[in-house]
Amino acid sequence: MSKELKNITKVVMDRIHHDKIKMHSKAYFVVGSFLAFIGLVASMITSVFLVGLIRFSLRTHGPMGEYRLDQMISSFPWWMVASAILGLVIGIWLLRRYDFSYKINFKVIVVGFVVAIIVAGWIIDMTGLNDILFRQGPGQGIMRQYFQENNIQPGQGRGEWKNNLKYK
Amino acid sequence: MSDYEKLSDEEVVEDVRSKDQELYSVIVERYQNKLLRYAGNLIKDEDRASDVVQDSFIKAFINLNGFDTKKKFSSWIYRIVHNETINIAKKYQKELPILDDFDFQSDESIEDNFKQKETAAKVKKCLQEIPLLYSEPLTLFYIDEKSYKEIGDILRIPMGTVATRISRAKILMKKICQKN
Repeated sequence: MSKELKNITKVVMDRIHHDKIKMHSKAYFVVGSFLAFIGLVASMITSVFLVGLIRFSLRTHGPMGEYRLDQMISSFPWWMVASAILGLVIGIWLLRRYDFSYKINFKVIVVGFVVAIIVAGWIIDMTGLNDILFRQGPGQGIMRQYFQENNIQPGQGRGEWKNNLKYK
Repeated sequence: MSDYEKLSDEEVVEDVRSKDQELYSVIVERYQNKLLRYAGNLIKDEDRASDVVQDSFIKAFINLNGFDTKKKFSSWIYRIVHNETINIAKKYQKELPILDDFDFQSDESIEDNFKQKETAAKVKKCLQEIPLLYSEPLTLFYIDEKSYKEIGDILRIPMGTVATRISRAKILMKKICQKN
């Protein structure tokens, strides 16, 4: 091995001095971690609510009726699905950046992440939390527009399946 | 600076961050040969290995405040070199010359030393014929003497996967060495 190769210490220290290389401050890493965490949480919340919205959309249009299928496909808010997938992809990408992710089988994390979002979306939809947030919270504008575009009465569809089963 | 020889890597890093940045040379001194050998085994080109190690040390210096001193510095710096090496390997994917002067240390007699060198040369030749996926954990385990946990930390894979890859690497090595 040549002398030049062996004496990396001098080269590195000279580069640090000559190029005036500085360390990133601790604040840089604190802010970076905080933003990554916020991004992860935001993408999860977005995905959960979008799953709730998709369920709501399926319920109002009737997923099984053949004659309603074309209507559902034509008016289905595909942007929601795209946003949900995007949210999941970003969330998974952020998860991969965290140290702990490699210690568990990555497939388990991805499946767990997707199942957690679907279950959380379903629970939020079942408890009516999304309705409250969409009527009173920040989503009320989007919801009103959605109701108007699709000619839906608020509350329509909730419990429809249960009622159908009861009267058969 | 000789007082720092007794300190652990993590303690020196703490002092580099809070007291004197010149102490970073202690860290570089400790790791330069190990990392050169590691990078050399991965990309099989001395000059590029040297560049990779230099760049990795600079990158580590810039991000030193992001290192958690409760963890092992060794795994952290190896991880940086691993990433840099993989980037370089992707950039220059063509076959590179075989290294012949990355030595194995030994305190045994000349004859034993010769035999060991001969074996080491054969092992290195075989090692270069197996895929990087298997050769890297094998190198880290036998040449760099890292534990399964450290290898897992460096390669970002679970310990079970480390064990599987080393086991498969040994089978592959055996087949290739016997063929040669």
